[in-house]
Amino acid sequence: MQLKKLSLFTITALAVTTLQAEDYVSVQVMQYNESNDRAEITAPHLEINKDFGTDYTLNVGFVADALSGASPTYHDSSSGASAYSRGTTTQQNVVYGPVDYEENRAAVNVSLTKRFDNRDELTTGLAYSSESDFYSFEGSAEYLHWLGESKNQAISFGAAYQANEILIKECIENSDCDTSSSASKKMTADVLNTQLGFTQVIDKDSVAKVAIFMSIEDGYLTNPYMNIVRNYNTQPYITAEKRPDERTSYGLTLKYIRSLNDQLTLHTKYRYYSDDWKINSHTLNLDSYYELTSDWTLGAGLRYYTQSEADFYNGNKAFFTDQKYASSDERLSDFDAITYKFNADYRLSKKINLNFGANYYDQGDYFDATYFTVGAKYRF
Amino acid sequence: MQKILPLILLFSLLFLTGCVQNVKSWEKGTLAKETMKDGGTNKLLNKFEEHIYYSKEASKGGNGIAGGGCGCN
Repeated sequence: MQLKKLSLFTITALAVTTLQAEDYVSVQVMQYNESNDRAEITAPHLEINKDFGTDYTLNVGFVADALSGASPTYHDSSSGASAYSRGTTTQQNVVYGPVDYEENRAAVNVSLTKRFDNRDELTTGLAYSSESDFYSFEGSAEYLHWLGESKNQAISFGAAYQANEILIKECIENSDCDTSSSASKKMTADVLNTQLGFTQVIDKDSVAKVAIFMSIEDGYLTNPYMNIVRNYNTQPYITAEKRPDERTSYGLTLKYIRSLNDQLTLHTKYRYYSDDWKINSHTLNLDSYYELTSDWTLGAGLRYYTQSEADFYNGNKAFFTDQKYASSDERLSDFDAITYKFNADYRLSKKINLNFGANYYDQGDYFDATYFTVGAKYRF
Repeated sequence: MQKILPLILLFSLLFLTGCVQNVKSWEKGTLAKETMKDGGTNKLLNKFEEHIYYSKEASKGGNGIAGGGCGCN
């Protein structure tokens, strides 16, 4: 057993950019709360990681989210605060405000990493997610190839295919259903994600990564709970939003990780994103880890995000008339967001670590949120 | 895209110039530390965070290819 751990450590030291070799069970719970009771999420998460010799690693994860709150959208106030309060109405009855929702999500993912004689790695994975109105099945594969004997450079390529099924619970005033009844309808959407990465050890204290990624989505990409207003100035009509059935996005990530001294490590990450809905975004992430003692590690981070709006977005109730694609979902608008992060990791014993986290997310005029995490990791 | 070209060039230069050293396997103790892991010391915290951003922002991708779907668009 000791010999196995030793050889795994050697491999880990050589292959610094890949999975760290260890057997563990990790439990984490997150509590997320948005301002004005917009959303409350409780999410317990379990992860098990098990090595089989030096060539295989199995990773299994489970998560169960319980969500409740109220999302803002247009609705007809004369028929109640519901996402289905739609139809022809008066200007006075057009209201932009919260409509209640409640949802539970259960998800599981399994991945197996195989290491070859030259220590290249193939990781294959499956993921399944289930909600009352959404099901998703994903298969993925990623290959990592070391360049040279010193293993200071690596390239990786991965692809994931996702088959999603979306249930429109009530078709009322929804053009995708072509009905005015409250019948439900199943829709589908497929997603292909790809990523090509390059890792370079800069020196004995730092490593850099660059990756390009692309995603192709095809199918029902509309949110069936988000509404828009058409013809507000003549005869207001509240109906379900409509997004394009295709979306192609691409981007680039740059990462630089550096140990500044024995105690302080800095992670810097930048992401550029662009898609054919005309959304462009920039994300800058700075995380630091400070090893206060041999038992305590403190972490602090800052994330800045900015995006432009989708070409079919408009938040003004008097804007849309007969446009084919139309959405007033705030998440497709032009906004900035900032996150402040703090976490602490305490080594209780040789086998057990405890961690605590407190985070604050601010999306400007729309909302802010706090989320707390607590967890434990047991090595076996 | 023009805006990020300088960053790409900077990274390319970093790789190609003398900044890059041929680090031997016995010199990789620091690189193997928990705090040097891509994604930080706690992978699950990252998953939570990415899930929040996925459901509250319009951008996605760049954090690996596997993740599973979510009806939170």
